[in-house]
Amino acid sequence: MMALVTIYIDGKKIIAGSEKTILEVARENNIEILTMCHLKGLTDVGACRLCMVELEGSPKLFSACTTKVADNMIVTTNSERIRRYQRITTELFFAERNHICAVCVSNGACELQDLGYKVGLDAIRYPHLFPQCEVDTSHPLYVMDQNRCISCSRCIRACAEVEGAYNWDMMNRGYQIRVISDFNTLWGESTTCTSCGKCVQACPTGALWAKSIVQGQQDKHPEFITDLMERRKMNL
Amino acid sequence: MIVRNSLQDADLPQDDPRVKQLNVKMKKEGYKPDALIEILHNAQNSYGYLPINVLRYIAKVLRLPPSRVFGTVSFYHFFSMKSKGEHTCLVCTGTACYVKGAQKLLDKVEEKFGLKQGQVTQDGKIGLQAARCIGACGLAPAVILDDEVQAKVSPEDLISKLTSKLETHEQG
Ligand code: SF4
Ligand code: SF4
Ligand code: FES
Ligand code: FES
Repeated sequence: MMALVTIYIDGKKIIAGSEKTILEVARENNIEILTMCHLKGLTDVGACRLCMVELEGSPKLFSACTTKVADNMIVTTNSERIRRYQRITTELFFAERNHICAVCVSNGACELQDLGYKVGLDAIRYPHLFPQCEVDTSHPLYVMDQNRCISCSRCIRACAEVEGAYNWDMMNRGYQIRVISDFNTLWGESTTCTSCGKCVQACPTGALWAKSIVQGQQDKHPEFITDLMERRKMNL
Repeated sequence: MIVRNSLQDADLPQDDPRVKQLNVKMKKEGYKPDALIEILHNAQNSYGYLPINVLRYIAKVLRLPPSRVFGTVSFYHFFSMKSKGEHTCLVCTGTACYVKGAQKLLDKVEEKFGLKQGQVTQDGKIGLQAARCIGACGLAPAVILDDEVQAKVSPEDLISKLTSKLETHEQG
């Protein structure tokens, strides 16, 4: 028996199960909250800070994907301040690596690009870091291009939680963070990867792609991960 | 079908006293994945740093994903995968220190000693490491020289401190 709570999101009164996150409840009620590291079916980690919302009574912002609802919670998802933060977060995604959409496999089918349009990005106000990034083409089927990675960790969780292979993890910290295969070794030499392609489906950008896909022809289906996890719960 | 390598062949010479010590430690911790950090500490104590074949061995014995072991090692600045120098210079590159010129410190050390972060001088005297927020943001840019916190360090300061370390070294 789950407890029910009453919460208010952008003035709308909603009755929801207390085990749910603000994000889940908002989406069930067609209230849009921008997300990047969240992928339904995977454990939420609150890594990207895009889904920040205001809670009345606190000066802090909270990540909607990892904050559970509570009785009488008053949530604001669309204030001036939130929009400002979303814009900054988006700009930083672009500034941190080398995103050159025109030559990307995901051009036109990229969650990062879509996000840029959504927040009305017209210029990046931060200096680009232009880091030197590796492109790993050693896997027979897929490519990992660090230039386009936004460190959302969706690939890591899809591989570990859905496929159970745990090929990926993160190394280092801060701006030097990198997704790694095994011992920071070549993906093609992995001792764990089963070549299932789930990480590629889960990745929101052109960082992970299948060699069979040509430029601008990306066709990713992250919802495939969600469906898999839903079916798994059903004990078919 | 894609044929891959296996971690099963990861092994270390079992007559090596350091390996024996490592085996005892892993057994004592009940081969629990939670004890990874403890076990890595133990290994670093005996090896001075964490060689890759030791990490492979630990991953195999604890049945942990290699990327998890490597990620853990790279996350904590007290773990090193390269042999450390006799003196360690740890430059904070957290946000506060970065903004206040941590990169200039790293650049200067590189210019002067040809040393990039994570490296050790050829003579093995100085090892350079970078840390992410050491929790002394008010002292930014902060450096830890041989376990001693140095506050508001300028590139010149740092070079003279490192040089004097080298000199005391030569005398003693
Ligand atoms: S292809 Fe499958 S097993 Fe290999 S890294 Fe991606 S998710 Fe993991
Ligand atoms: S490779 Fe893709 S899914 Fe993985 S962390 Fe980078 S952007 Fe996210
Ligand atoms: S979606 Fe909530 S922090 Fe990334
Ligand atoms: S960022 Fe350097 S001490 Fe916090």
